[in-house]
Amino acid sequence: MLDFQPHEVIVEVGSEESPILRNLRRSLPGIPITFVDHPQRFLSAIRASKDPLGKGKRHLLLMRHKGDFLKKCPGSEGQVCCNYFVINFASNCPMECSYCYLQDYLAQNPALKVFSNVADLLEETYNLLSRHRRFFFRIGTGEITDSLALDPYIGFSEEIVPFFAEQPNVLLELKTKSDRVEGLLQLDPKGRIVVSWSMNPQRVIDEDEHLTASFDERLLAAHRCQEAGYKLGFHFDPMIEYPGWEEDYEKMVDRIFALVDHRRVAWISMGVLRNTPSLKRIMRQRFSSTRLLSGEQVLCPDGKMRYFQPLRVSMYRKMLRWIRAASPTVFVYLCMETKEVWEQVFGFAPSCEKELGNQMARR
Amino acid sequence: MLDQAILEYGREKGFHKQTLERWLKFPEADREAMLELARGLRTGENHFRDLMDWLEEVSLRDGVSVLEILKGKSIEPIWSDPRLGRNDKLRRIKEELRRLRFPRLVQVEGEIQKRIRQMKLRPQIKISVPPNLEGGTLTLQLRATGHEELRGLFREISQILEGTEMKEIFDLLMGREQNAGFSAS
Repeated sequence: MLDFQPHEVIVEVGSEESPILRNLRRSLPGIPITFVDHPQRFLSAIRASKDPLGKGKRHLLLMRHKGDFLKKCPGSEGQVCCNYFVINFASNCPMECSYCYLQDYLAQNPALKVFSNVADLLEETYNLLSRHRRFFFRIGTGEITDSLALDPYIGFSEEIVPFFAEQPNVLLELKTKSDRVEGLLQLDPKGRIVVSWSMNPQRVIDEDEHLTASFDERLLAAHRCQEAGYKLGFHFDPMIEYPGWEEDYEKMVDRIFALVDHRRVAWISMGVLRNTPSLKRIMRQRFSSTRLLSGEQVLCPDGKMRYFQPLRVSMYRKMLRWIRAASPTVFVYLCMETKEVWEQVFGFAPSCEKELGNQMARR
Repeated sequence: MLDQAILEYGREKGFHKQTLERWLKFPEADREAMLELARGLRTGENHFRDLMDWLEEVSLRDGVSVLEILKGKSIEPIWSDPRLGRNDKLRRIKEELRRLRFPRLVQVEGEIQKRIRQMKLRPQIKISVPPNLEGGTLTLQLRATGHEELRGLFREISQILEGTEMKEIFDLLMGREQNAGFSAS
């Protein structure tokens, strides 16, 4: 995986004391740092460029986050939800997946931002967890950014892993397509941290997951994390259908379980490629030759396009068979699918989001 | 000249700027073929956008030009059939392009319709599946004007359930491989 080399780091005045800035100065010594009073001017310049999303990824903006850090994962209307909370410590991502929904979601806000007020983030999280000790939470940081891609530069895991390791009623999930785990290996997760990888065969990575770690790099990083005491998760999401996908995905599952100890895998999710009509428009402009635009996807009632149901159910069932052959007991769930699809794949559907969330919390 | 004609057609039909910009990005021969199609079918924007999406995506997937698709054996015979009116041509060309764009979906839909026909249902019994098969459910409608007629329809339904077709339809809706042939390779 290539090093992240932004053209410039832009720091909002007031963020000078942040541990994130200290880490950036140390890890990116040759990169100019500019202090600004009003990041809005910089954001306007990015928005006005020809490719705001591309340009946004080549600059790093460090600024205070003014709203809530913690949010309930929005899920998708009519789909089975897994009752998940997200912490947005950053926004946007230095990698370039052709199918990434952030291209649409962050179209008006495309800067690569990291939030400097980490102490506020930890305080807000502590308040939630300590007020509700009877409840068990699952919290992730990989919703609108990659949890670890920037970690060698910003050192965020050093700030949050020790905090979460001491909380009795939470699992923190760090979700990534990178291999940037060095910062985790010296820390003690105390059973409270799941590091999870979005996995795809190398062919998909080569064609559509630009600037991410290779399959081998991700797998090796997962192995190192497991050795260091972390629980693991794997997200086969988005699954991509193409001639020969079965062979590639089956091999991928075999290779993962040949290296990692399946008894210490907290969960596995499956989800097929999802687009929206507006994301497709952006993909046509930014990645006009990607074959992902021509899969047999249809518009579903929640406004997302997926492979038509019999096709994707068939994909899930095959994938489940390969996973079960490698690990009969690992917990597998579907991401953003209806109860009908759950029934067709597993023969049952969780009765409510609490049930699924509780099952996952016990892992 | 060609681009001017495209812009003129778009203005006349009230096309959005983005639709026209996309159209103008196609290679010249494709732009021209699409103009001929749009003029011949007098398509409004919604139909045209469907046609353009499917043409572009089939072209990308199969590595052929839009012109080749439109002059190919699926579309050309409909286009040049003098017996068909404009509305019929539009409907059949869209059906054919949808079949090219979603070959396996259309195949499964066809297999389901075949089994429904094999059941030889009375007109008072209607079996339908959702658009694009999304949802995976089958809807059964019965229409009766009296108690005895309804009892008769239920008897027929019981007989249908003894046959294989209904089970096969559910298998198809579930993507069972032996029927659906989903291997893309």
